[in-house]
Amino acid sequence: MEQQYEEISQRYTEQLNDLAKKIETGQTESAEKILDEITRWREDSLFQELGKLTREFHEALQNFRLDSRISSIAEEDFPDARERLHYVITMTAQSADRSLTATENSMPICHDIKDRSRILREQWARFTNRELSADEFRSLSKDISVFLDGLDRDVPVLEENLSEITMAQDFQDLTGQIIGRVINLVDDVEASLVNLIRLSGQHILNDKNDSTAGEESQKQKKGKERDIEAQGPMVPGVDDEAEMVSGQDEVDDLLSSLGF
Amino acid sequence: MALGEPNMKILVVDDFSTMRRIIKNLLRELGFTNTHEADDGNTALPMLKDGDYELLVTDWNMPGMEGIDLLKACRADPDLAKLPVLMVTAEQKKEQIVEAAQAGVNGYIVKPFTAQTLKEKLDKIFERMAG
Repeated sequence: MEQQYEEISQRYTEQLNDLAKKIETGQTESAEKILDEITRWREDSLFQELGKLTREFHEALQNFRLDSRISSIAEEDFPDARERLHYVITMTAQSADRSLTATENSMPICHDIKDRSRILREQWARFTNRELSADEFRSLSKDISVFLDGLDRDVPVLEENLSEITMAQDFQDLTGQIIGRVINLVDDVEASLVNLIRLSGQHILNDKNDSTAGEESQKQKKGKERDIEAQGPMVPGVDDEAEMVSGQDEVDDLLSSLGF
Repeated sequence: MALGEPNMKILVVDDFSTMRRIIKNLLRELGFTNTHEADDGNTALPMLKDGDYELLVTDWNMPGMEGIDLLKACRADPDLAKLPVLMVTAEQKKEQIVEAAQAGVNGYIVKPFTAQTLKEKLDKIFERMAG
């Protein structure tokens, strides 16, 4: 290889020296001929390099096809992961909506309680300062009674809304599990790409020491099989819905059919 | 301490702290304040073995020891064989529910669930345990 480069650079040096001479002596036509020849050499070596690259690329692609993990990632796992991530978006959006709705429904109740207690406090202060007439006091008693009735009505609503906000956080567990699976997929892709780089690198370096690549995909396979037990949250449109229950009612039906 | 009483000792096992907090909050709403937490079966089992727990609420899919294995481990241990176990999980494959039932689970709730469902399943467990 080095010898080849030396030869080429010597050829270039000779030609360029010749070219300089021709230009100095005003032999334009010969100078142009030399230039044409240099260009041709350049093109030849470019074509050679291109040919080499094409061959390497072709071989890398062949190996890429041979790595079945990669094709299954492209055909199944990526679309699957995309669906799962869409589902995460849907779930987080739903959760945000539920929380915001509960908050929006609670805020007016809180404002109302605050306003009414402020008015009562003012009246109460007048009462303790003995500024209230008997009629005004009767009216205050009635207001207090109405206020307390209102609390009996409003506080359970606030409690319910707060529970709703708490329950809306359940997305974190489910989306966490789904994202965890996608991260596993990304790890798989990374490992496969590293394999691919190693394989194509081997062709360029002509290194035949590729025993580790096989072990790697063997390991990935095992990792996949271990997943069978725990499935994670069901994602509509991705998981086989016939094998799954769609909600608590179906769980209860299934369990009672088992005599549970 | 009788089952269903406010002070009964409950262990909540889930690898996601958010879900543990949700379940603890719901249990508190239902009047149960003596709740403890573990993040997987491996942490939970020793706690159960010397903790006098009266109810186990567990997830299925967890790193380390999964909920189904924790359930089986409990049933295999003479001291824990009768411990009521409620599964609260995103696992909704039919064969998994059957497996849990065969392993001796006392209730099975799929996520996402409601406060009402949790209350119903707990009531049912307490009812059966009393009867």
